[in-house]
Amino acid sequence: MSFYRTTHIILFLVISLGSCTTQDVCDEDSQSELVARFKTRHPESVTDTTISGLYLYGIRKGLPDSLLVDSLPVQQIMLPLDPHHDTSQFVMRAGSLADTLQIVHSREFYMISYTCGFATRFTIDTIHYNGRLIHEHEIINHTIDAELKLNEEHLWLYF
Amino acid sequence: MKNTSGYIFRSILLLGIILLFPYHGHAQDTLRTYGPRIGIDLARFAYIFAKPSEVGAAFSADMEIYENIYPVLELGYNSISEQTELFDYTSGGTFLRLGADYNLLPVTDRSLHHSITVGFRYGITAFSHHADQILITDDYWGNMVLESYGNNLTGHWLELVGGVKTEVLSNFFLGWSVRYKILITNHLDPLITPQLIPGYGRGTADRAFGFTYSMFYKIPLFKK
Repeated sequence: MSFYRTTHIILFLVISLGSCTTQDVCDEDSQSELVARFKTRHPESVTDTTISGLYLYGIRKGLPDSLLVDSLPVQQIMLPLDPHHDTSQFVMRAGSLADTLQIVHSREFYMISYTCGFATRFTIDTIHYNGRLIHEHEIINHTIDAELKLNEEHLWLYF
Repeated sequence: MKNTSGYIFRSILLLGIILLFPYHGHAQDTLRTYGPRIGIDLARFAYIFAKPSEVGAAFSADMEIYENIYPVLELGYNSISEQTELFDYTSGGTFLRLGADYNLLPVTDRSLHHSITVGFRYGITAFSHHADQILITDDYWGNMVLESYGNNLTGHWLELVGGVKTEVLSNFFLGWSVRYKILITNHLDPLITPQLIPGYGRGTADRAFGFTYSMFYKIPLFKK
């Protein structure tokens, strides 16, 4: 068998074996959500706390209210931040007490992957509230992106 | 999911190339010819059919300057243009590879110039990439469309190359090479990883495989 045929049959086998490629499928979320855990401060410790009957919704300009939490007992909430503005506002109501949580942040977009496209990365600047429900806060992690890790949390809210 | 259509297409194309260029032995000549050899990568044209969004061309030049040692220069252009539901993307630019091949095949017949080579390349590319009509989906606050983002970039990589060249007609060669590529530049763009680094491949991978199937003509300048 000639040198030509031998070498090209080898090439044919190499290319044939190497031609099967996997196609990417997106299995990642593109929503960036802030994880806020509820806490109670004691004289010498801080413990997790549960808020019963919590209602939560975002203040969306030009869009109807849409509940994120509907009268549930919760220890933490996940807040989708507003990619259109530098402030995200949420109303929290439990019983007769209500508070408006205002999160001031910066925004930048980034590519999650070629298949999943883009998402927004937020950096928390300041937190504001009126104090009727939330007593104090602590920022644990200023950066929020779409790649939420296990047990990741960004904000502690004290009640 | 396996990309079987690409596999079938490339296999048929390769068989076609082999059948189109049957080997013809030529009369032995006791003089061995030397000169620059220029080549064009035919596999680049196959990509246009297998993946129409990606176009490119690559040319090479080499010459045996010392026994079995071939310095190599490769020049090319590569671009990709794709529209997805989430964004439109383009990337393109020229690339240059410099290196050398070493022929492992012993010369038993001075009239034959077949070679089996191993070698290396240093690759560099200057390219730009752009994303337009970027859609960020948001179920709660509403979707957002960003107009465009672009960046001019430079990429560097190394290649280990193994290949074969066969002289099918006097001074005409067909040859193929397989390449293992190692990306040196890791952080090309902080926001978008290039989908295509011209001459290298996907920017999402620090290592890549490549192959060429080329046709060459050697300008027979010297005989000895």
